[in-house]
Amino acid sequence: MIPDGRALSYEAAPAYATPLRFFVTAPLFGVAAGVLLMLAPELLASRWTRGALAITHLIAVGFMLMVMVGALFQILPVVAGAVIPGGSLLVAGVHILLTLGAASLAWGLWAMSPVALSLAAWLLGAGFALFLAAAAAGLWRAPVSQATPRDLRIALIGFGIAISLGLTLAMVLTQGLALPLLTLLKLHIGWAWVGGSLVLLAATSWIVVPMFQITPPYPDALTRYWAIAIVGVLLVWSGSVYAGSTIAEVLLVTVLAALTLVYAAATLQVQRRSRRSSPDATARTFQFGMLCLIAGTACTLAAYYSDAALWPILAGILVLYGGFVSVIEGMLYKIVPFLAWLHLTQDGIKAPNMRKLQPDTPVRAQLVAHVVALLALVAAAASGNAWVTQLTGLLVAIQFGWLLVNVVRVVRAYRAARSA
Amino acid sequence: MTNITDLMTHDHRECDELFARVEGLAGKKKWDEARTTMRALRAAIEAHFDAEEQTLFPRFEAATGMTGGPTQVMRGEHVEMRNGLAAMEQALADEDRDEFAGEAETLLILMQQHNMKEENILYPMCDSHLAGEVGTLTTALAERIKGVTA
Repeated sequence: MIPDGRALSYEAAPAYATPLRFFVTAPLFGVAAGVLLMLAPELLASRWTRGALAITHLIAVGFMLMVMVGALFQILPVVAGAVIPGGSLLVAGVHILLTLGAASLAWGLWAMSPVALSLAAWLLGAGFALFLAAAAAGLWRAPVSQATPRDLRIALIGFGIAISLGLTLAMVLTQGLALPLLTLLKLHIGWAWVGGSLVLLAATSWIVVPMFQITPPYPDALTRYWAIAIVGVLLVWSGSVYAGSTIAEVLLVTVLAALTLVYAAATLQVQRRSRRSSPDATARTFQFGMLCLIAGTACTLAAYYSDAALWPILAGILVLYGGFVSVIEGMLYKIVPFLAWLHLTQDGIKAPNMRKLQPDTPVRAQLVAHVVALLALVAAAASGNAWVTQLTGLLVAIQFGWLLVNVVRVVRAYRAARSA
Repeated sequence: MTNITDLMTHDHRECDELFARVEGLAGKKKWDEARTTMRALRAAIEAHFDAEEQTLFPRFEAATGMTGGPTQVMRGEHVEMRNGLAAMEQALADEDRDEFAGEAETLLILMQQHNMKEENILYPMCDSHLAGEVGTLTTALAERIKGVTA
């Protein structure tokens, strides 16, 4: 099928406000996560505390999923030639449903409120279903299929499964649905973490790392088979969890961990061969994120071999906050100013260059704050000290607030250029 | 036999290489060398644009009848990239490192998202719609881009 000009043109790309509304909302959930740590420092004691469940979802749904959906609305037309139907009304609908859904999910888990959890299930289910349906309609009509859109599709399916499992969990908790809670929970975590987030991160890396850091491409075998392999193992692992076969489960988790390490190590290796003389802030956060992913994966394995409550907490901190959040923040600093520049240029306005739209110094300072907050989180989890945890909460709130300020700064520079 | 996608994608990477070299030299304030390499980058990119605008796009348009389609969008982006190159050249002439870094950053992303669209969508379309003449076309395209980036 031949796409018309629209598929490649900027007109197919959405308005600046489309991804930005998601990018501006996401850090607010991060700030909320920091505030929650200040209010309830005991939440780091175990992964099963209500606070730990709430903060995990503030980050995973409120921050990560929010940015992901905003970014996909932007990049699907560009990378895959997929035109997403529905226009700005659909975007607004998805955004409102996800925002309210993430907020009521965090509240529902924190207060163990059946009403809030049911509401969250409906809102998030509707929001994500709406997004997936629109993305699927665009992707399946896309003109040429390449390796990356394939992995992107896999990630979207992974998220779809993870969210369906999450909705089922909400039903178990609120409606007394008679299903094994622990089994569902494990499957939900596995699919959200590996099938959705990790595959999406890898699919993004295959393109973004070689292009923007001017590195050699990833090994062919990796871009071709890695996503298929890891989702294949994840499926078998799911079977072992369902069957309650502990030995098989541990064995398969080890394989998943090994595949994660292969991806992270390959990324670090490819980055080392970057032609750019000095890595920019985004490249550094990518490297940092990979190191955290490796450390977090090691903690995940440790959690399977040791009963100490610290390992799963450290794994969560290192993978979610150190791995995914780091990389996402680094990429926002590329996407937000470039889109501002692009929209100005397209409208025939003389656009300031990217460094003028987004000065480097506050970006680096904010990223340093992010790294400090991560170290503080690790110290807080290891020490169990309430004061350290409250201080950490403050640091987390500050760094997400700072991210928001930096993003809004670009939007203001964009508006200033428009009205000049 | 090499196809259009492989040939043109390879040339994108050659241009990336030159871009990285200029960026590194400007970062170290080696202005004379940076200006020399910048001229090589400009020549390589112009040769690539030329191969597309004079040879590849007209053939694609003739074969598909799509004159206002993707090729038109790509031509428009070439204009923006030429402006970006001019801004980088001006910053090198002024020996202004920060200005250069900002302009280079902007051009890099503009260039990469443009390349992504060509490599993922337009070139594969060319390979399939111009299947009968891929051999002669790749020779003609290679003729236009070779020597400049070698």
